[in-house]
Amino acid sequence: MSKDLSINVHHVTRVEGHGNIVVDVKKGEIKQIQWQVPEAPRFFEAMLRGRHYDELRPITSRICGICSIGHSLASLKATEDALDIKISTQSQILRRLAINGENMQSHILHVGYLAVPDLLGVGSVFPLVGSKHQDALLKIVKLHRISNEMSDLICGRTTHPIRLIVGGFSMVPNKKQLMDLRKKLQDSIKPTKEVAEVILSVADKIPDFTRETEYIGLSSNEEYALYDGYINSTDTGAFKDYKNYTKMMQEYIVPQSTAKYAKHARKSYMVGALARYNLNSKQLHPLAQEVAKMFEFKPICFNPFMNNIAQLVEFVHNIEDSIIQVDKLLKKEIKDEKPIKPKKDSGQGVGVVEVPRGILVHDYTIKNNKCTKANCIIPTNQNHANIQHDMEEFVPQILDKSEKEIELNLEMLVRAYDPCISCSTHYLKVKFV
Amino acid sequence: MANVKIFSKKNLDAFVDSLIQDKKYEVVGVKSKGKRFAFDTIDSAEELRLDYDITILPPKKYFLPQYEKLMNYSLKEKFDVKPDNENKPRIIIGMHPYDIIALQQTDKYYLDEQKDDFYEKRRKNTIIIGVDIQNVSEHSFASSMNTHFTESGFDLMLTNIDNKYAVTIGSKKGEDLLNKYAKVDDAKLSDKEKINKLRQNLVSKYKKKVKVSGGKSWSSLLVANYENSIWAERSSKCLECSSCTMVCPTCFCYDVHDDLSLNLADGQRVRTWDGCLLKDFTKVGSGEVFRNDLKDRYRHRFFRKGNYLAERYDFIACVGCGRCAVACLPNIASPCDVINELSHFGGEDKPDKYFIKQETKIDEKGTIHVPRQATIKKIQKLTDSETLFELELNDKKPLGHKPGQFVELSIFGVGEAPFGISSPPSNEPTFDVVVRKVGNLTSKLFTLKVGDYVGIRGPLGNGFDVKQFEGKHIIFVSGGTGMIPMRSLIEHCLDKKNRDKYKYMKILYGAKRPSDVLFQDKISSWEKCKDVTCKLTVDSCQNGECWVGSVGLITNLFPKLQVEHIEPKNTMAVIIGPPVMFKFVIKCLQTLGVPEANILVSLERRMKCGVGKCGHCQINGVYCCKEGPVFNYSQIKNLPEAFK
Amino acid sequence: MSKPRVAFFDFASCEGCQLQIADLEEEVLDLISIVDVVSFREVMKEHSDDYDIAIIEGSINRPMDEERIKQIREKAKILVALGACAAIGGVNKIRNQWDAENVKKDVYGDAKINDNKYFDVYPTKAVDEVVKVDYYVYGCPINRDEFKKVVTSLVMGKKPEIPTYPVCVECKKNENVCLFELGKFCLGPITRAGCNAICPTNGSPCDGCRGILRKPEIECIQDVLDRYNLTYEEMKNRCIMYNYSKEECKNE
Repeated sequence: MSKDLSINVHHVTRVEGHGNIVVDVKKGEIKQIQWQVPEAPRFFEAMLRGRHYDELRPITSRICGICSIGHSLASLKATEDALDIKISTQSQILRRLAINGENMQSHILHVGYLAVPDLLGVGSVFPLVGSKHQDALLKIVKLHRISNEMSDLICGRTTHPIRLIVGGFSMVPNKKQLMDLRKKLQDSIKPTKEVAEVILSVADKIPDFTRETEYIGLSSNEEYALYDGYINSTDTGAFKDYKNYTKMMQEYIVPQSTAKYAKHARKSYMVGALARYNLNSKQLHPLAQEVAKMFEFKPICFNPFMNNIAQLVEFVHNIEDSIIQVDKLLKKEIKDEKPIKPKKDSGQGVGVVEVPRGILVHDYTIKNNKCTKANCIIPTNQNHANIQHDMEEFVPQILDKSEKEIELNLEMLVRAYDPCISCSTHYLKVKFV
Repeated sequence: MANVKIFSKKNLDAFVDSLIQDKKYEVVGVKSKGKRFAFDTIDSAEELRLDYDITILPPKKYFLPQYEKLMNYSLKEKFDVKPDNENKPRIIIGMHPYDIIALQQTDKYYLDEQKDDFYEKRRKNTIIIGVDIQNVSEHSFASSMNTHFTESGFDLMLTNIDNKYAVTIGSKKGEDLLNKYAKVDDAKLSDKEKINKLRQNLVSKYKKKVKVSGGKSWSSLLVANYENSIWAERSSKCLECSSCTMVCPTCFCYDVHDDLSLNLADGQRVRTWDGCLLKDFTKVGSGEVFRNDLKDRYRHRFFRKGNYLAERYDFIACVGCGRCAVACLPNIASPCDVINELSHFGGEDKPDKYFIKQETKIDEKGTIHVPRQATIKKIQKLTDSETLFELELNDKKPLGHKPGQFVELSIFGVGEAPFGISSPPSNEPTFDVVVRKVGNLTSKLFTLKVGDYVGIRGPLGNGFDVKQFEGKHIIFVSGGTGMIPMRSLIEHCLDKKNRDKYKYMKILYGAKRPSDVLFQDKISSWEKCKDVTCKLTVDSCQNGECWVGSVGLITNLFPKLQVEHIEPKNTMAVIIGPPVMFKFVIKCLQTLGVPEANILVSLERRMKCGVGKCGHCQINGVYCCKEGPVFNYSQIKNLPEAFK
Repeated sequence: MSKPRVAFFDFASCEGCQLQIADLEEEVLDLISIVDVVSFREVMKEHSDDYDIAIIEGSINRPMDEERIKQIREKAKILVALGACAAIGGVNKIRNQWDAENVKKDVYGDAKINDNKYFDVYPTKAVDEVVKVDYYVYGCPINRDEFKKVVTSLVMGKKPEIPTYPVCVECKKNENVCLFELGKFCLGPITRAGCNAICPTNGSPCDGCRGILRKPEIECIQDVLDRYNLTYEEMKNRCIMYNYSKEECKNE
């Protein structure tokens, strides 16, 4: 079939950050498939130069507005690792609530506002107002609001969290607030199930595309890992030497992107909800397992489009997990605790957490309380190569469709990854004098 | 001595708990807040910390809330305003004597002849259980202000003596409360003596003492030292954060703004605390700031408390709590330090020179906050920048204004602003305002049409007492927009019913350019009246502009004024115009021989509430909206802030 | 009267400010009842070049972005700077302390990026350093209530009333224990209010993200600094986080 195709999607919509899709086909022969990342680099590594360790969290939180809690936690873990600070059990529980809140907020925003419109054949959620789907939309909004209210409570503010500080928290919720939260979480289970039903009803629109891929994420013996765990790969298994994370995540520069690419056992790998699901699905709480079953979603799933279903499943899991964490805090009265002080003023530390989009690493070297060296591995960075390779395999499979359909499918592919492009354009190894 | 009872700590707790359990009241008490203390709702007597030294904020927040919703309004309905006056009965436990005294002072401001009904309702709904001071705050100088104990202003007063609590009954309400909820015994004479002893012993615990207090002592010191270098020195460290006024129990200035809901269907008018230290406190629509220098603002606060209010009400409006000193980072806020420093200098014999004693006669009854509906009857463009709006109150009652008074005009969702009334009283039932587009409210007003509604509060201000003009000649001097309110006075005097009361009338008017001249047609008709001369001038006149009057400043008109038939001693002069004009015109009038007591001026300031409460319009100790805006020059000339 | 047409644009930013608009939750429906959102890349596919009000998040740090913002300014009747990065430069300006070439070399090493226009960066600029800005919504991130206030003001045809007084006013109204009393140094006294003192209310000192109102003279603040064991340099250093100013840091 001799087909000519020229697709140039400038600044893909409904994703965070700026990404371009370029596809050039002449007489049926694919000349170019490119996932470009033209996002303006902001040089965060330069921003950290010489800053006091108390300022690292506020600055790195500004890498991304959606995963600011995730960056904050990775930053704090790295700082605490460097300066030998062990936070209290109460703080650990609160941080798990924080990360749950962020995961919930991000997933429902992405699935509900950004991905589902494709399945319903609309350009955004706005046309859903006044339609037969208005009810589902309102439920999605309500769930998003509750997720934010949880983060607001635990962190003081969900975007650029205030209460997360080195050694613990600047303020903690009181008993009444925790009980209110618990009720809200409990009340959100029913609407979540209803939203899942709506998505199920249009799940047939999810493209059926698979490509064998390596998946990397955190795992833990205690729980479905988000806040703490060891690095794990579906290809090579557990990697406990977290300080040498670069052995797992090998970054390199390509010309069409201000963000770097990454590889490990294959030429690329994927991180995110799908990766976590493929690694740790057995540890999901019961209701989440039920929702997975609804979609006949089983590990190991090689369809990147199912990442959004994995996000939905994680959302359910996070609600259940949050109720468990709140109960722990209610059982052992929550207290005002002073943050733990550092035991030394210099050191190198690595903090690894799972943020909504995948595994995130912050690596700091601190000397005399000031940061001298910083490195980060951003989830979306790690996905860029995989997006590129997925596109290269996907385009030939859909070449018989119309140009508009191919464009839509490629956008959906990018959206499936839920990329956070602003985050991904910032990190590199750097050394300051 | 008053009726005193006594109970054990256990029974006191039981009393408090039963108050809480009877859901009729919101029970508020002093709780710990981090390392400090604050008034807050309590769920059990356990939370009470009656041993506190001082709270972060005074209990004024329960009577004048930080953010208070005054009314709800709808933007969909033409003019649907509902005052928001709901509040639940409340009991406050643990007020210290200085805070009780501060509240009594605030009553004088808010429960005067122009009563604030929101404040009044909260006062009536609240039962005050005070407590004698057990621990003294390190910055407090209450003992030297005699506010470390009080025998009035409370319903009940608790005193901790030997692990028991004496409770002095201060009112019937307090007595009923005890009878219903408490198990008490009668206090013995020895208990009553212990209360006195405790209060006496308290004095020695105060490390900070002010060297002079009481009567006019602060007043006298301050006025004598208005130009002292202390103000510039101390204010050089000021951060202009206004924390001092926020935490002060005797500060009560406020601002009002309109909030809108996102769907623009409705909104709320909200009152919130304001502070005189803030740069824009005295800023008006045209952008002019009447108290701009930091030194002046810093000085103003001390004068307000120690001189202006002191002269007006015969008490020092500071209770020595020391909260301002706690809150002030550069530590320059304490009146104790300032007064002590000033005490090295002499005092002043006439401490009331920055205040004008005047009886205000208020005709308007009813709420001071909620505007009445008025309809726009006519819109007339007068010049490129000024437009006349003729209004009529919807309830058909006459506005009943005097020339020189003003109204506060509201457009809900946008705000409220003062406008001088331009028409004479005889035009009733309608009245005119003339508007220049300078800000949000005026711009919005320009988009309204005949038949639209606005809100009106008024008439406000003192207006002209036309009786003074009887039997006299009158010189009217208007500069620019000064002609707007002046017209009201001129037309009132020229009214057939009134004309014969007055003798010669000379009307002088200066505008920027011919196109800026207001009421040209009316001026022509004034000239035709008996014994009336009109002289106009413009600052400049372009080629091609038609102008037969003079060109030059308004002062140039005076030499041309024929005054042979006027006895200057029997002449009144009225001046309304931009601030810069007054000094020069007054000189001209003095040259003519017009006595100072015969010169009246109308001043402009930021008049927000219009009833002498919000504090924005102060000219030293004078409220421009109450004692003014019309002033007698001899009274006002000594006020340093009058003609700056 | 037809609804104003609003378009959102982002430059070098974390998109957290635009997220606040999505975080209006159910009130987003109210928002779209008073304005027509014709372009909002983050949440919708549709885009239109016909807009009355352009809302800009992010700073300008490349020639290609400078072109883009100038085009937007030409099309828009009103331009609003959303958030610290757009309004005052925010954290994006921290790296302005160093030469752009120096920073690029540090970050990207020897990688051949000089021909790549994506990497052609210069010192970060706030939006008003490139085009005229009509209104500002300060903060990092913006305060949703303030955003609502600005939008409703613009639709009502009035100028938004943004505070010109410091955070202390709001902090005191919230009855917070002053952080200075807890030994922390807070920029609240010199930072613009309008955030309801959210950081001090949550136990964290103010960082000045809404913009410094005025830098106090050293004589004015020396006593306070001494009391909290801080130098004037350290105070200026804290201001760099959101309020970097080349003139003030010439000696660095």
